[in-house]
Amino acid sequence: MNRLKILRSAPSTFSGLPFRPRASNALPLFRPSLQNPFPIQSQTSPFSSTACLLKRKKQRVKQDIRVRHIKFHLAHPITPRPLRFSRHRALRHWTIHRAWHTHLSQVRRARELDLERQYESMKGACEALRTLGEDGIGYTIARAPEPNEDGTVPLQKAQEGGEGLVVIGGSGKGEGGKELGRLYRLAMEKKGIWQGVPIEYARIQTDTPGREGWDHGWKR
Amino acid sequence: MPIGSRRRRAAAAVGGNVPFEQLPYQCFQEARKVLQADREEKVRLIDVERQRIARLEAQEPFPGTPAQKQLRLQSMRKHVEYLKVQADINDPMVKKIFEDGKGDMSKPVYRHLADRKWRSYRRLLIMQRIIQMNVVPDLLPHIDPVIDLSISFRGKTAHPGDFVESTLSEEAPILKIQPFDRGERLVTIAVVDPDVPVAEEDTFKHRCHFLACNVRISPTSPMVKLADLDQESQVVHSWLPPFAQKGTPYHRLAVFVLQQPGLERVDLEVANSKAAQRDGFYLRGFATRHRLAPTGVGLFRTQWDEGTAGVMHRAGVEGADIEFKRKRIEPMPYKRKDGSRFR
Repeated sequence: MNRLKILRSAPSTFSGLPFRPRASNALPLFRPSLQNPFPIQSQTSPFSSTACLLKRKKQRVKQDIRVRHIKFHLAHPITPRPLRFSRHRALRHWTIHRAWHTHLSQVRRARELDLERQYESMKGACEALRTLGEDGIGYTIARAPEPNEDGTVPLQKAQEGGEGLVVIGGSGKGEGGKELGRLYRLAMEKKGIWQGVPIEYARIQTDTPGREGWDHGWKR
Repeated sequence: MPIGSRRRRAAAAVGGNVPFEQLPYQCFQEARKVLQADREEKVRLIDVERQRIARLEAQEPFPGTPAQKQLRLQSMRKHVEYLKVQADINDPMVKKIFEDGKGDMSKPVYRHLADRKWRSYRRLLIMQRIIQMNVVPDLLPHIDPVIDLSISFRGKTAHPGDFVESTLSEEAPILKIQPFDRGERLVTIAVVDPDVPVAEEDTFKHRCHFLACNVRISPTSPMVKLADLDQESQVVHSWLPPFAQKGTPYHRLAVFVLQQPGLERVDLEVANSKAAQRDGFYLRGFATRHRLAPTGVGLFRTQWDEGTAGVMHRAGVEGADIEFKRKRIEPMPYKRKDGSRFR
């Protein structure tokens, strides 16, 4: 009943607003006092911080209609009170907030690590296939070249890698030949992925769209 | 119905003597457990990183150049500092102590918080003022402050760009030079007035009001009383009170904190012989000669007021009776417009 009265006494600008939160069960704990907490201040232009000379201008001070609305709704009895915490309560709130965000970041990190692990494992398997020799055991690895006397590594030598390549394991016969990496080539085949669609339309699948939406200059 | 939750009522019944960490709110206690576990993880990571650093330092021969090794060590140490901050930054007590202004600046987390706070307002303010008043291109080509500098005269803080009364600035100020990174350093402090009018040449020149080298500061001991510095080993020019003669535009007084490389001391005899004069002191040349890096800046202004004549008299500066006036610009001779245009 009380609430109805309040609503009826409110002007029409208020009652039509759809976003007004209508707290059904709980009445606000602290009602603003009956006095208007925002006394009308002299204001000539909207959002001006300059005080206007009241004595010179006899007429009533104009006020921006938006400012009036904001003040009216802030002072209205069914507007919920602002969220104010005591020091300790604010600190507790902050603690819980930080803990929640820490937890979220931990979950995110775990997921990232898991994806990384899967990717690395798949990459390792592909690499093993690629270097698999004819006999199914032999494989080659690049060994780091011998360091100089001062402890530095000759960059040129490391990049050439010619003499750094050694054969480890197997009979050593697996090197070379057309059988080297056959399984890898088979695994990398993209058959049946772009069925019916010309391969030219393919783009490596990413999470986000490309920077250029369409390649207009493309010609077959 | 009673007011408040069951736990709140229980906490209130115990009395106000419960320490903050032990307040019996379930969600709060669970949150603290999560944060503590996170902290332990960070501490473990710090240990791991330290062991890695020790291993890398001991590694002989290192596959790469010594510069590469130093770079890697540097970035690893930086990462340790980051982890140290991250270990404590979620602690509510740290936040509370910092907000009370009781943070211990020897600890990385408080230094980090203080740096963030300084950068959020005070640094923006001083940068705005020195750019607006053209301190930066006039005195030094560029500055990127990393040290918080506040100036106070007789206990009154001079905010960046404030007009300070001449009687107030008669005594040397107390500077608070607050660095935010670890360790001690030696700095040079220079107070320069770039607005000294020279009527004969119709220009302005610089004047040094204070110059001291080899001032040792650290995050925990930031206060520097300019009047108390050692005359033999530190002060090159003692404090000359700022003054502006009558009729001159306001004078900018820029306070610069310049960091000396490493812990090298500036040789005062060299400094004196090369920049002996107060008048015509140019900070650019001085900083280049002694390889000083500008790290902190402050600014205040002075203008002619009632006390200036007395201040100048007591400091033994002549010229208090001179009044500067603008040269009268003769108007252009009247030229009659063409009458045919006024039909």
